[in-house]
Amino acid sequence: MVSTGPSFYFLPESRDLMSLRSIPQLLTYSAILIAVYAAPVSAETTLHERIDAALGAGNPQFENQAVATADDATFLRRITLDLTGTIPTAEKVRAFVADTSADKRVDEIDRLLASPEYARRMQYVFDTMLMERHPDKHVPAKDWQKYLRESFLANRRWDDLVQEMLTVDGTDEKTRPAAKFLLDRELKAEQVTRDLGRLFLGRDLQCAQCHDHPNVNDYLQRHYHGLNAFLSRSYLFRDPKTKKTSIGEKAEGQVAFTSVFTKEEGKTAPRVLDLPEIPDPEIPEEPYRVKPAKNVRSIPVYSRRLQLADAITSTENQAFQNNIVNRLWALMMGRGLVEPLDMWHSDNPPTHPEVLELLSTALQEMDYDLKYLIRELALTDVYQRSSRNNSDLKSADKPDYRVGLLKPLSPEQLAWSMMQATGVTERTLAGLKAKKIKDDPKHGPQVTAEPLWQEEALHDALWRNVDSFTVTFGTVGAQSSRFDASANQALFLLNGPLIQSWLVPGGNNLTARLKKLESGPAVAEELYLAVLSRFPNESETRQVVEYLNSSQQETHKGIPELVWAALVSDEFRFNH
Amino acid sequence: MQRNQGCQQLDHRVARRQFLAGAAGGALAFSLSGSPAVAEQVNGQHKRILQVYLQGGVSQLESWDPKPGTEFGGPFRAIPTSVPGMHISELLPYTAQRMHHLSIVRSINLKTNDHTQGRLFMEKGRRAGEYPYVGSVASRYLAPAKAELPGYIHISTRGLNDSTAAFLGARHAQLKFLGVNPPKNLSLPKGLPPTAAERRMALRQQFNSQFQAGHGKAMTETFDASFQQAEKLMSRKTFFEKPPADKDLERYGKHDFGRNCLLARTLLENNATCVKVTHHGYDSHAENFNFHLEQLGEFDKTFSMLLDDLHERGMLESTLVMIYSEFGRTPKINVRYGRDHWGTAWSIALGGCGIQPGAIIGKTNEKGTAVAEREVDAGHLFHTYLQALGIDSTRDHEIAGRSVPIGDPAAQPIKELLA
Amino acid sequence: MSVNNSEAVAASKPVLNDAVEARKPGVDYDAIDPVKTHKVAELKHTVPLTSCRVDPTGRFIVAGAEDLDIHVWDYESKTKRTLKGHTSWVRSFDFSADGNTLYSACWGGDIKAWNLLDTEPKSKLTIQAHQGSARWVRLSPDQTKLATCGNDLLVKLWDLENGKLLQSFAGHERHVYAVEFHPDGKHLVSQDLMGVIHVWDLHSGKKSRSIDASVMTGYDKKFAADMGGARDLQFSPDGSELATAGITNVVNSFAGVQDPIIMLFDWKTGQEKAKLKPDKTFQGIAWGVRYHPDGFLIGAGADRSGKGELWFRKPDESEFYHTMKLPAAARGLDLLNDARHLIVAHSHGAVHIYRMTEEEKQKQV
Repeated sequence: MVSTGPSFYFLPESRDLMSLRSIPQLLTYSAILIAVYAAPVSAETTLHERIDAALGAGNPQFENQAVATADDATFLRRITLDLTGTIPTAEKVRAFVADTSADKRVDEIDRLLASPEYARRMQYVFDTMLMERHPDKHVPAKDWQKYLRESFLANRRWDDLVQEMLTVDGTDEKTRPAAKFLLDRELKAEQVTRDLGRLFLGRDLQCAQCHDHPNVNDYLQRHYHGLNAFLSRSYLFRDPKTKKTSIGEKAEGQVAFTSVFTKEEGKTAPRVLDLPEIPDPEIPEEPYRVKPAKNVRSIPVYSRRLQLADAITSTENQAFQNNIVNRLWALMMGRGLVEPLDMWHSDNPPTHPEVLELLSTALQEMDYDLKYLIRELALTDVYQRSSRNNSDLKSADKPDYRVGLLKPLSPEQLAWSMMQATGVTERTLAGLKAKKIKDDPKHGPQVTAEPLWQEEALHDALWRNVDSFTVTFGTVGAQSSRFDASANQALFLLNGPLIQSWLVPGGNNLTARLKKLESGPAVAEELYLAVLSRFPNESETRQVVEYLNSSQQETHKGIPELVWAALVSDEFRFNH
Repeated sequence: MQRNQGCQQLDHRVARRQFLAGAAGGALAFSLSGSPAVAEQVNGQHKRILQVYLQGGVSQLESWDPKPGTEFGGPFRAIPTSVPGMHISELLPYTAQRMHHLSIVRSINLKTNDHTQGRLFMEKGRRAGEYPYVGSVASRYLAPAKAELPGYIHISTRGLNDSTAAFLGARHAQLKFLGVNPPKNLSLPKGLPPTAAERRMALRQQFNSQFQAGHGKAMTETFDASFQQAEKLMSRKTFFEKPPADKDLERYGKHDFGRNCLLARTLLENNATCVKVTHHGYDSHAENFNFHLEQLGEFDKTFSMLLDDLHERGMLESTLVMIYSEFGRTPKINVRYGRDHWGTAWSIALGGCGIQPGAIIGKTNEKGTAVAEREVDAGHLFHTYLQALGIDSTRDHEIAGRSVPIGDPAAQPIKELLA
Repeated sequence: MSVNNSEAVAASKPVLNDAVEARKPGVDYDAIDPVKTHKVAELKHTVPLTSCRVDPTGRFIVAGAEDLDIHVWDYESKTKRTLKGHTSWVRSFDFSADGNTLYSACWGGDIKAWNLLDTEPKSKLTIQAHQGSARWVRLSPDQTKLATCGNDLLVKLWDLENGKLLQSFAGHERHVYAVEFHPDGKHLVSQDLMGVIHVWDLHSGKKSRSIDASVMTGYDKKFAADMGGARDLQFSPDGSELATAGITNVVNSFAGVQDPIIMLFDWKTGQEKAKLKPDKTFQGIAWGVRYHPDGFLIGAGADRSGKGELWFRKPDESEFYHTMKLPAAARGLDLLNDARHLIVAHSHGAVHIYRMTEEEKQKQV
């Protein structure tokens, strides 16, 4: 803590107070503050500074070779997408570029982190990460998504969330959504054991189910079965009255396994990877609190399942910390320190172990505060570096972060960004506000000014549009950070009625606004700001003007085609 | 834990040692068997797959492994085929005359009676886990670089949506056609004249050239390739719009399956790599016999016509033909004259590219209640399909730092079935 | 109501209830009352049965099974004979009026004739009647011709003497499930999978009209297949009405979820007279229908669970007035010439004989 303690940057006065809700957290910050003062050696270097230093360590030329920081417009688009899941409005781009204050980037990061859109973005990210777009089984997605969103609105700690997800049995309506991870995997070993390994420990132990992994020395059969042992006594119980499924557990049952290759036999009590086994206590005379019977959910005195959450989130369990910081790094930087995200092993080490170490330590010290980590990542030079590489910098096999990486927009980001760009979002919000004010003239004006009200109202009005994007662009099952594109997706963009409907001039939407503009350069500027979140350069402006000159006779002066082309361009498809 | 049969300790040991040797070379560890090596094996003739998937689980007793006159034999008789000594159900008279193109595997034991598990096992050659389907593997390793059509097309009359590509990526995922209806969004938006469509594509290029100038190409090329594939599909809209010739319909049948098979023929002729046609309606828990009469009656003639056409066009040597299900049906006939789910002892037929024709692999016991000889599962079949196509299924997929065995290392191909 | 007819045979003593206790005074144990129907005998076979028939003189009970044989029980002695020769399951039977000759049709497409007076009957005539299953066989009222139908979509008429094809009727577009002579001997009716009933004029050799029973079929969208067909077909004794048994309301035919139905049609007009269905909790197939000489109608069927039921309907009523639960699925139904006994072919491998009168308590053996 002393050597790596964070500094003033996230003291309450410089951070949004929303994220500091509880006394314990304040106490933690006070403790850090004290620690920082007590150890001034590192007090002046912040986490993000140390990350940047670590990336360049050992290469004196690093700073020279690295590309420049992205310009303001690019930064704004990037951070807005990463933290709130959509592109900024044209108006916002104008204002941000014009803003001369020195701290405008920091302020913007804090503003975005404090917004309700941040919680929505995290809801999407963690829903996709943890449920991998599988169809619902026992817990409705909307309940689970609400649970996630509220958790991120309250900035609940990651260990705390995981504790809850792995502990609840689904019987308490209040916490039932958290049980989705276990319930929807139906406690099937090949799903739940594998996904515990993949999603919380960064290790895909699937191949170690029947034998030690053939290609990965570190993945042993006992790892798989050690995890499996936590849950092997648990089963799905369907209440005959409520028809709801929850988790019951038996008091006995051992996990033994035989390698299909070596025929070696093994036995294991619950354990997380190479941490010690957790032996069962002496079996009491009556091993059950509720005995198994027909239509009865049995509850043992000693539950192996309830050991799981503690064992996984234990500070001893480095894999748990490494996994989440790697996933956050990948979210922000476009690539994990370990790739694939679920293939941690000694032959596939992190590309930058020092960076990993910094992040993991900070995570523990900051009590698993994900918002803190995301903020620090956003403040790094490496995050803010341009992705444009005009020199002949060859991309090395091992990423060295001298150039920013392209990040494909998630289906949700793509949907919200297209709606933002075409003016659907703004138009919808105006309509929702007007209706609310009309319905409730007394409180309406105040209520509709609330960012949280606006975010929720918009989401409720537009989620179906987002859904059609996730159906087309989302993949069910393990998510890959690799970019992929199919003909079906392209056909959706080319000819799908949804996007076409957004291009028809109406009200104050983008095509209507552009159509009203008199001069070609004005059209170019508004188009680029609204869709690509930047000002056009001279040649871009010229090309737009030339196009408009040739398209005056076309329907709507050819403007819908112009907007479409920008919307489905490479530049729009990626966070760059 | 029960999957010991196919497991060859020695093979595995070797594989692991090889890996260790590679690991010593540090970063090279994962390029031990690079995917280009896999691709090279199949250079030359473009190899293809025709899959006919009898959804719901066709009864082996009413198709490839009849047991007339036995306790569970059912009412149908066995008939001789064009292969001396080989008999199949009388419900397949046309196919019977073409069995010299096909072989039968009668000894499949999947150890599951669940539709989804059976289907995934049959498609992925793995009991569980995120692995690509046969069709996606074919798309990845067999589709020509400048393929005119997406590599894996599935013609079905309803929507079971499968996630087929796993880590191979969306380009290799199955493109689903709902019957002979074109994929969604294949027509230009209403009111957009072709000239405007061209204009907008030119504009898109204009936007892209600016962006591509300063950015790595890997991702943008993938994105642009999806548009090219989409445009190829759009330009082949006539595949779907042009009604099939009357004489073809006469031969194939005017039902959905006939039309779907005609479309499959067109796609294969146009160098599609894997075309899957699903024929629905074999999950006969009631009235098994009347339903098999109906369904196989439709299947038999249509499939035979398609087989003839592939043969006549000289395509059979380069086209692997698979007729398969997620499992078979119970020997025991239930009170509804139905047969239930049965992965324990059932059959598939296959032929064409790389497959020894006219063979019968394995057998079931007298009443068909268990495998008697040469038990195999979907892991063995998976290796067999791929090796028949010239893909070394014992090698690895090399995907972004992940090295995944193509076929289950615990299973091997059915060697005697490979030509 | 042909009361005379039933009285005529009532005199013959019930055969199979040998150990009868003293009868209660004042009870008419011969009075026919469907509500009193009870089982009086069981004729056992080892595999599930598929069909049954009793000859017009009440001497022979025959059944088809999920094997290749015909099982013949002597009604008096209960002794069993097995007729071998079919190459597939036997689905349908008919008898000559004297009861001596049995005609059988099998899934393999063959029709066979058997002289039951022989100790070990051999097939005395085999007609390869249809490509694919021969689903039904009926003897003409004048005892000279056989009518058959099958999966080659044809209805055929055969000369009984030499097995020669006399007429072939084409017009069905799907499998033909059953065929029946009208008592006038001048017409045939046949019903197919889609509930199309064609009426064939034997004189002209052409279709004279069609009757719409299309409620007796259903397309299962999920499985993309049709299910339907007549599972039994019979004219009322006076020929004024046609009864057909089968299914309707297909929900999920692959799991057997649909309703049994018996439909009645007016012969003259072809109009529907009744649509009879059991309680909606009974889902499955109606496998048998018979007109009782007293005028009431009897139906039999199988629920998807494997249970069976007998149904009784009084003339002109729109619903069954009595239902009797059976221990196993009923797959065939016939009526004895004494008008008091029914036989049912069951899925559990036995023919049960049921008597429609007050039960006489039997001594425990």
